[in-house]
Amino acid sequence: MSGLKFKKGTAARIIFLSAVLLLVVLASSCIQGLYPVGWSGGAVSGDTLYVGSQEGKLVAINLTNESRRWSTELTAPRTGFNFGCIGPGGGAPSGVAIYGTPALSGDLVYLAGYNGKIYAFTADSLEVRWLYPREGYLEPVVSAPVVSQGKVFIGVGDGKIYALDAATGDKLWEFATGDNVWSTPVIEGDTLFVGSFDHNLYALDINNGTEKWRFQTEGAITASPLVREGNVYIGSFDRNLYALDINSGAEKWRFAAENWFWAQAIAVDGTVYAGNQDSKVYALDAASGTKQAEFNLDSPAASVPVQVGNNVVFASREGILYRINTEGNTMTRLADIGTEVLGPLTANEGIIYIHTQDLTLHRVNAETGAVMMSVSLESEE
Amino acid sequence: MNIWELVIQQPMINVLIVTSGFLANSFGLAIVVMTIVINVAMVPLTMKQIKASKAMQDLQPKLSELQRKYAKDKQKLAQEQMRLYRESGMNPAGCMVPMLIQMPIWIALYQSIMLSLAVAPEGLLNLSKYLYPWESVYTLLPLSRSFIGIDMASPNMVLALLVGATMWLQQKMSTPMSSDPRQAQQARMMLWMMPMMFTFLALSFPAGLSLFWVTSSLVRIAMQYYVTGWGGLIPKRVEETAVTGQKKYVKFTSDSERADAEQAASDIDVSDEKGLGYVKKPDKTRFQPGKDRRRHPRKK
Repeated sequence: MSGLKFKKGTAARIIFLSAVLLLVVLASSCIQGLYPVGWSGGAVSGDTLYVGSQEGKLVAINLTNESRRWSTELTAPRTGFNFGCIGPGGGAPSGVAIYGTPALSGDLVYLAGYNGKIYAFTADSLEVRWLYPREGYLEPVVSAPVVSQGKVFIGVGDGKIYALDAATGDKLWEFATGDNVWSTPVIEGDTLFVGSFDHNLYALDINNGTEKWRFQTEGAITASPLVREGNVYIGSFDRNLYALDINSGAEKWRFAAENWFWAQAIAVDGTVYAGNQDSKVYALDAASGTKQAEFNLDSPAASVPVQVGNNVVFASREGILYRINTEGNTMTRLADIGTEVLGPLTANEGIIYIHTQDLTLHRVNAETGAVMMSVSLESEE
Repeated sequence: MNIWELVIQQPMINVLIVTSGFLANSFGLAIVVMTIVINVAMVPLTMKQIKASKAMQDLQPKLSELQRKYAKDKQKLAQEQMRLYRESGMNPAGCMVPMLIQMPIWIALYQSIMLSLAVAPEGLLNLSKYLYPWESVYTLLPLSRSFIGIDMASPNMVLALLVGATMWLQQKMSTPMSSDPRQAQQARMMLWMMPMMFTFLALSFPAGLSLFWVTSSLVRIAMQYYVTGWGGLIPKRVEETAVTGQKKYVKFTSDSERADAEQAASDIDVSDEKGLGYVKKPDKTRFQPGKDRRRHPRKK
């Protein structure tokens, strides 16, 4: 090839043709959801909200004066490929994606990244106290850490549930499910409940990781279970929401919707409110599963709802917040933040915090629906 | 959903998912089967395209002759070219039209594979909006990404090299060496550039996409073989050894070949009269033993 000499026009034609082809391939490959970005929710302690940003950093925001602090950036074993596509916010995505909401306990903030590492940061200085594994990386983590009785529990992409010492990060036990675990564990007493892509909901003993029972659905489970008054409520990709006995895992009832139950449900006064990918929120009697009401959103409900007083607030993917009054089961449109919402909502002192994929923390007054000035999570480097 | 998603992407995604359900939940096999099925469905168009490009290649010597003859008169050249196309029953856009019709289908299949793979968590969440209300579609997801030990969601070196190799093979078969030095250079450049470019792309795309490219190339190799045989893959017996300006020198592998060629040359009528063909005797035709054995002629 090196011996070839081209006329000016020939070379230009070849380069033009190749460029056009490359452009067609790249343009048609830029589809939504091609690369991990992250949808971490916020966790509040005192006047500080902690959230994992799309830059791969833990951000601490002072809710009083809006000052921000950033941890060092999480490191990845391999660089993410974005196929030349443009990421949210205009540029290519950077940093390790963080999906799980940080967990707070004592003076530590626990966080897991899509890089397959679990971190404990000091709450005041945001320095890494420990990380797991110390060498190498696990499979990507989408689940959020949960802290209870001095242990950190988390589901990982290798299909395992890990229990770590909350103070040192030493592994205490692990339990292998049959597939990926994105569901965030829920602890009730000495039992951990978690769903897996292998279609099962597991109940494990938090002391040693032994299985107490499991319940098989017909689809993968990404949602976290909801535990309330002797029942475990879990939604599945088989389009059913199940109510199970907390001790035996026996099915009490099931409710069929039209699409996946992606996120955790919420319960208020004997009613379970569950958002579905069919763009509806279902209000079900917690004891019998009877449908009390259904509410139409403008788009699927992917984020975890929050309770504010007598209301529960859901966000649609299109970025519209809806408030459901639990006393009369009536829904009103609360606010439109104008950008896609995928992560869980956080409520604190009458304000709803929504972290979106454009490195922004939006704030909405839960009472009036007024959209307050948002906070940028972009680091000041 | 927009029209493109509703009419093209959504059906393809659902069929891909259901197909993988029938194939032991193997998404890799589903990609292979779907690529073959769509290729087979487009056989009439593809054949038309292959035949049209073959006819165009067959016409190439005459076109080159015209270019040489009317190098200084572009208008006349265009007229003569159009007349040649007309007389040969050829449509210059004959190879482009089937390709343009097929293009959206390929892009749709390619996008459907990427969407169904759901490489990132956002991708899986996004997938829910494309699903038909079929029981199997909901329960099969997320799809198994492993295929013969390869993670379909991550780039794979072996598949990337296969992408380049099969693409090169297919192009080599469909591109016979041209006697026109400019076209020969262009063809040689494209023969390497495209496979190299796609190999590079395959190294940064999920392996599922590479599998789609490899399967497509293999199917097209089979079709190309059906129409043209090995084509440009098997070199002709008479080799062109050197090209300098308008002069051409050939190396004959036997005396009988040389005698045949000389006899053929003496049979050629050279005329500027229209309609008698487009063959022009070279300005200087000679066989130079010894000198022509050199690969590159000595500069004067």
